[in-house]
Amino acid sequence: MIADLERVPQLDATWRDAPGLWGFLTTVDHKRIAARYVVTALLLMFLAGMLALDMRWQLSTAENTRMGPQLYNESFSLHGSTMLFLVSVPLMEAMALWLVPLMLGTRNMAFPRLGAFSFWLYLGGVLTLWLAHAADVTPDLGWFEYPPLSGPAYSPGHRADIWAQMITFTEVAALAASVNVAATILKMRPPGMTLARMPVFLWAMLIASIMTILSMPAIMLVTSMLIADRLVSTHFFSPAGGGDALLFQHLFWFFGHPEVYIIFIPATGFVSAIVETFSRRPLFGHNAIVLSIMAIGALAFGLWVHHMFAVGLPRLGNDFYTAASMAIALPAGMQIFCWIATIWSGRPRLDTPMLWVVGFLATFVIGGLSGIMTASAALDLQLTDTYFVVAHFHYVLVGGAMFPLFGAFCYWYPKATGRLLSERLGRIAFWLIVGGFNLGFAPMHLLGLLGMPRRVYTYPAGLGWETLNQVATAGSAIAVAGGLVFVGNALWSYWRGRVSGPDPWGGSTLEWASASPTPAWNLPYTPRVDSLTPMWRDGPLRVMEGLALDRREVLVTSVADAAPLYRQKSAPPSIAPLLAALATTAMFIGSIFTPWAIVAGALPIGAALTAWFWPTRPRAGAAEAKA
Amino acid sequence: MIFVRPPGPVSPALTRRAPCWAAPLLVAVLGGCSSEARQLGPTAPQTRPISNADPRIPAYQANVYQVAQGGRYFGWYGCGGCHAEGATGVLNLGDTQWKHGDGFADLFTAIADRHGRLAYDRRVPVEVLWQLTAFVRDLPAHKAEKRMRTARDQKAEPQGATWSGPQ
Repeated sequence: MIADLERVPQLDATWRDAPGLWGFLTTVDHKRIAARYVVTALLLMFLAGMLALDMRWQLSTAENTRMGPQLYNESFSLHGSTMLFLVSVPLMEAMALWLVPLMLGTRNMAFPRLGAFSFWLYLGGVLTLWLAHAADVTPDLGWFEYPPLSGPAYSPGHRADIWAQMITFTEVAALAASVNVAATILKMRPPGMTLARMPVFLWAMLIASIMTILSMPAIMLVTSMLIADRLVSTHFFSPAGGGDALLFQHLFWFFGHPEVYIIFIPATGFVSAIVETFSRRPLFGHNAIVLSIMAIGALAFGLWVHHMFAVGLPRLGNDFYTAASMAIALPAGMQIFCWIATIWSGRPRLDTPMLWVVGFLATFVIGGLSGIMTASAALDLQLTDTYFVVAHFHYVLVGGAMFPLFGAFCYWYPKATGRLLSERLGRIAFWLIVGGFNLGFAPMHLLGLLGMPRRVYTYPAGLGWETLNQVATAGSAIAVAGGLVFVGNALWSYWRGRVSGPDPWGGSTLEWASASPTPAWNLPYTPRVDSLTPMWRDGPLRVMEGLALDRREVLVTSVADAAPLYRQKSAPPSIAPLLAALATTAMFIGSIFTPWAIVAGALPIGAALTAWFWPTRPRAGAAEAKA
Repeated sequence: MIFVRPPGPVSPALTRRAPCWAAPLLVAVLGGCSSEARQLGPTAPQTRPISNADPRIPAYQANVYQVAQGGRYFGWYGCGGCHAEGATGVLNLGDTQWKHGDGFADLFTAIADRHGRLAYDRRVPVEVLWQLTAFVRDLPAHKAEKRMRTARDQKAEPQGATWSGPQ
């Protein structure tokens, strides 16, 4: 898409950020915010990977003394909490923040300042957990901290509070991001992109966002109840005081199970985009894939109890949730067959993004099959709390979400930076990571069947576990080496990579119409869409005019038909989101120590929000009165 | 109060994990660090405190984990039988009016040696006595509702007369 010569400087002037630090702190550019999310989360992924390697080192031989029990407890708690709350979910949201406006051909998110607020609050959660860790106040009860173990009687001090409050941070951040994504997808699609012409990526992000909005309140509620139990001695989880310890588990998993699909469903969006572009044909079974994602999203809320088969629930309950858990294999399988059919009937090209999709298909199917095994309540009673479960959830989360994410990283890296990743280094990283991962986690299935429990810091010699553990450690070391090659490739290519141009892969969706790296205003014109693959139409992309150039303006369209409704002012940069996030941070941290922090902290938050929402134009009535 | 690290190896998380940029922060918060330190496995004192200024005291008195362990043993050894919530006079441990002095060694001696035929100095291991002493000295800081909440969580644990663990 080529813009008029005078158009670009005008757009630049309207949409640019202030220079320097002030611009950094006030920006509402969705691409800058998303980039921060991605870089922070990748850094944390590296730290969590180091923790994993350290734990594998400890387990590589029997009765190893690298770690004591306390350090091991802290290590796996930090690893799990970081990966689940601070890496996987935020990375998926970051990809949505980055790509949704580009794929819609709009200039920014629906609520630009909410995006900035979301990141600053996420950063607050990151610092809460990791600065506490630096101060040796590390949560040590795993990534789900059940009471009574996490209650006031058995977890004195603030380790459990740090964990619970870190969750509050990240969930508020996730809610802010999800509301933003859902509103943007529903109300800011370009003319012609009806719901029926919406790419799978956008469907995936929309459904994951709605799931986030529906499930996150449960975890915020339950961690707040835990903090209340610990801080002001309420009795939510104290059976002797009329409470219920199982209530925690139900509420936690009512969030926790949808969460793994909140991580997985965006990955299906990445896979769909990559498969379509690299098979060079429109996605096979678009409607079937969208309906499958919807089915997964709905079923995800009806099977959380399969995390609780071992706590002693009624038989009928276990039977029902076994059936519901197995049912999810149907839509998941349907998606996989659709992708395979697309590759089969297309003209596939095996560049690195597509390689990652192949790695995903192979690994995720293995994880799905072990999932069917653990879904059976009878078998799960044997497998629960063994390394079989560790193998299963790493296969589905790493294979099902991280591999597509790495593919997406390779696929959209040129769009973000204007340079291509090195294919050669990319292939080396791919084989090291996928090979190392499978070498590392496949033996854990056997270890689990041999009875090795999870969360043990060591094991006695002579149980027949040594060799398999050594293989697993070797595999994780290889995978970490691959990760370093991957990061090295990204850094090297950022300065030395081949210049990509706007559309290096011949992509099908609208983000490839923008320049690479994308300017602050995204596309020069509002595109007009007439198919699922707007970039593959014969002839140039059709566009429309009509949005202001001298002020920030976006087009709002109708939910179902994307018919233009009105032009909407888009919020300019502001320091208010950062101030609001700082005030919220002060309240969250303070409420670990005293309940009065909630009362006292509400005032600065109110002040920051007032500044945020302060009207910048006279009310319509006032202007009329003057005239 | 000066916080002293628990005797024995320095908490590994501090030395191995903290990234170097955290060093200034570490210095700033070091006072708070050891209060959360958690020692699993055999620990220090094999002997009684030598005085109220014994250098080993802060590792117990200022450590939330050791104090909480003392609270559990308080129940297990049946201390609550006489020193229950609402006990009056000399039996009330939460009023800071300790008859034989409020120093650590004073209280330690009162628990170990001043219970007549209960002879806690022989029946209770030394480290547990350290933890019990730290807990009792900490009691005035616990609000009644917190003590009740904690007791309810620990209700299922064997207490005093209903002890079912090893004899």
